[in-house]
Amino acid sequence: MVKNFTQSFKKLSLLVSLSLSALAVNAQAPAAPPPAWKQGMPDSLANSTLAPLAGKLTATKAADVPLNKIKLPPGFKVEVWADSVPGSRAIAQGDNGKYYVGSRPLGRVYEITDNGTTRTSRVVIDKLDQPTVAFRDGSLYVMAVDKVLRFDNIDKNPTVAPIDLTEKFNLPPEKHHNWKYIAFGPDGKLYIPFGAPCNICEPPSAEYAQIRRYNADGSGMEVLARGIRNSVGFDWHPVTKELWFSNHGRDWLGDDTPNDTMNRLKVGGHYGFPSCHQGNLADPDVKRLKPCDGIEQPVALMGPHAATMGVKFYTGNMFPPEYRNVLFNARKGSWNRTKKIGHDVVMVRADADGKNAKVEPFMTGFYSDADQTFWGRPAYLHQMNDGSMLVSDEQMGVIYRVTYSK
Amino acid sequence: MAPLFCGAQSMPARAVACNACHGTNGNSQLKDMPSIAGQPKIFIENQLVLIREGMRDIPQMKGVLENVPDSELTALANYYAGLPVAKPPTNRQINMYTKGETLAKEMRCGICHLPNYVGREQMPRLAGQREDYLLHTMRSMKANQAVGRDSIMIASLYGISDEDLQAISHYLARIAP
Repeated sequence: MVKNFTQSFKKLSLLVSLSLSALAVNAQAPAAPPPAWKQGMPDSLANSTLAPLAGKLTATKAADVPLNKIKLPPGFKVEVWADSVPGSRAIAQGDNGKYYVGSRPLGRVYEITDNGTTRTSRVVIDKLDQPTVAFRDGSLYVMAVDKVLRFDNIDKNPTVAPIDLTEKFNLPPEKHHNWKYIAFGPDGKLYIPFGAPCNICEPPSAEYAQIRRYNADGSGMEVLARGIRNSVGFDWHPVTKELWFSNHGRDWLGDDTPNDTMNRLKVGGHYGFPSCHQGNLADPDVKRLKPCDGIEQPVALMGPHAATMGVKFYTGNMFPPEYRNVLFNARKGSWNRTKKIGHDVVMVRADADGKNAKVEPFMTGFYSDADQTFWGRPAYLHQMNDGSMLVSDEQMGVIYRVTYSK
Repeated sequence: MAPLFCGAQSMPARAVACNACHGTNGNSQLKDMPSIAGQPKIFIENQLVLIREGMRDIPQMKGVLENVPDSELTALANYYAGLPVAKPPTNRQINMYTKGETLAKEMRCGICHLPNYVGREQMPRLAGQREDYLLHTMRSMKANQAVGRDSIMIASLYGISDEDLQAISHYLARIAP
């Protein structure tokens, strides 16, 4: 597959250079197709200086977090629950007060032990390519771009050697957009998205831009849905048990298009990538006839370039009753937009069938609209046993705990 | 000797070890060895962390940063970010240079690295960097080997030919930051 891909690009490059030399001698020759790197970079953006935001890889202490800038609805409070976990993203709850957190750029998996009032942390494994975590039946599952490891009974045996399951999962080779959010569903299967390895392109093979599920041991793979550019967050609806997932829209299509989306998973459904975005917007680069015909429609538009990340339906008893079954979504914040959007946690209130969705702010204050600076990037959410909510901040490398009391 | 200039940070003790390979005051004289003077502070800091963590596998640097605390890495980053960049080589091959200049524009390198390629925040200065190092690095990225860095450079170099990488390296190495 890699070979075919490389060969097709070699052919493409060859075609481009041949066509260019032909152009040099014959100005009448037809224009060469644009090279792969040029897709989705229109000339109108030649002078743009919008760029991905710089991450912080050094440790931040709780005392250095400007906690007083965070705004929540009345009655809610926030504390720094764990600090000095640079690059922290998705959180999985283990046994006996242990939590596992992947750090994408640092290649680490942290184990945070909560003794009720304080937390200690250690690195379970490092030097992995963008690892993420899930936990089930005493086992920690770690998935990197090119590796799947299982740590059995890790609570009782903290130094257990991992079992390498990589081969069974048959992961595709491209790295870009292939950091994963993973989680076990109510059916006991492991759900895994595979992002498109580009901003906008016809994916090099059918293995990308989809959501799959596997048995926990890597067998029984099923592709559940396609045309999903980059989903990095999902959860199951508490009533319908349907999977709802966030999806990132493409870059370089202007400040206000396309939107990131929140979606319900329809098995066998197509969500539009690369030729249709947000259910109704034809792509100007990868064109198809009637590109949005038969494409699944989103539950909610989550804002253009907002970077919609972690998804969690609230099912606890600590927050007031009106928060029950509400979808919380962390938006890491935009870079491909002249004015910032996101950098917050929002709520999506919708009917169980996805209709009548409304997006409302919940946790804000991580950026300044006035000078367009930011200090935090909420990324993932986890509901604790007592009904409080953990929120990881990838920028600060800390985890907040949000509580409610009257 | 590099000129003294106002506002320069005093040299951290550990910088002596860096200078052995990266050149006096961070301007490299060794093949394939990058210049680190005048690179953005966050870029240097990020790379030092990634190298310490083993996320960037650089044989010459193995163990050099073992257990060095964040605060020392930040001090090194601040120091080198403040050092002046040496004058670039003047031996232009005009065809290569012009081709590289056109490609760098078409590939929109300047969106992130800024139109004069001086870099910012986590994105390195390309202007005046060593040609051999630029080529080596872009080849690694294209081959999916630049582990630990943002995969956006893998996507940006998708499908580019080696000849084009050579032209871009030739051009960028010869522009004054």
